[in-house]
Amino acid sequence: MDRNQPGCCVDPEPFLQLDRVIHERGRMAIMSLLAASPELSFTELRDLLKMTDGNLSVHIRTLQESGYLAVTKSFHGHRPLTTCALTPAGQTAFARYLKLLEQIVRQTRPEKT
Amino acid sequence: MHGEWAAKHLQVIRTLMERSALYRQALAPIMLRLGFLGLAAGGLGYASGWDDPRAFIGLWIATATVAFGWTLGMVRRQALKDEEPFWSPPARRVVQALLPPLAAGMFFAFLLLAKHSWNPLAVWGLTCGWMVLYGCAMNAAGFFMPRGMKLFGWLFIGAGCATLLALTCPERLPLLRWGHLVMGGVFGGLHLTYGVYLRWTETNLDAV
Repeated sequence: MDRNQPGCCVDPEPFLQLDRVIHERGRMAIMSLLAASPELSFTELRDLLKMTDGNLSVHIRTLQESGYLAVTKSFHGHRPLTTCALTPAGQTAFARYLKLLEQIVRQTRPEKT
Repeated sequence: MHGEWAAKHLQVIRTLMERSALYRQALAPIMLRLGFLGLAAGGLGYASGWDDPRAFIGLWIATATVAFGWTLGMVRRQALKDEEPFWSPPARRVVQALLPPLAAGMFFAFLLLAKHSWNPLAVWGLTCGWMVLYGCAMNAAGFFMPRGMKLFGWLFIGAGCATLLALTCPERLPLLRWGHLVMGGVFGGLHLTYGVYLRWTETNLDAV
């Protein structure tokens, strides 16, 4: 069997190590936006991702419970403002998630001779 | 199979991170239009022979106001077209970065107008100050914008410094009429060049 063939001799370990909390599509999107921005408000996240309030709340709560997201509630003028930011644990977990994805991509690409 | 899926995931993540961090709406059309506007204003000022400092400052404040309105309109239209929020996080950061130097430039202009300081040297100084401050604004915004915006800012700073240096050389101060050409050339020319570069590289990227 040609070892350079894509898909040959793939180590399943990186795939198994993928963080299931981040791996869900909606949560991955939230983590991606927050990884590139110091903080975003609930409204900004909702508008950027075109999610419903309920859906976004559920994902935020899951990420918060995993310790990946810090949620701050304050007031902007007289209006309540919910702001989300990645915690250091969230940043580490996201970096690790990206590293594993890159590892998977590398594994399945034929090696250059 | 997993590889394709992982690569797709990484692409989605990259797009989302860029959307959150970088401002990239309608940059090429904005630059092209501002370029034409700058050249037109410079040509108008020169052709009209406006040597009066008030006319000089007035023309360029009016040009800046039109440019600001035009830019807002284009960004708004593009945001609506892409179904993206107008006041997005990157847009907010870009505006925050642009505001201090641009506000300082406006302040200096209004200060000269208010003080009735019609000394041509002060107006030439203001011209250089505008270029440098605008360059600082572009450079600061470049931290949240892609593709050469910081260099674009440095070119304005360089042009401002070079103009100031040139002013110290001749024994007689050039007529303010020439200032229109300098302003038109620097603001119009640089915007136009950058717009062409953006348009050209966008076309090339699309072709890949």
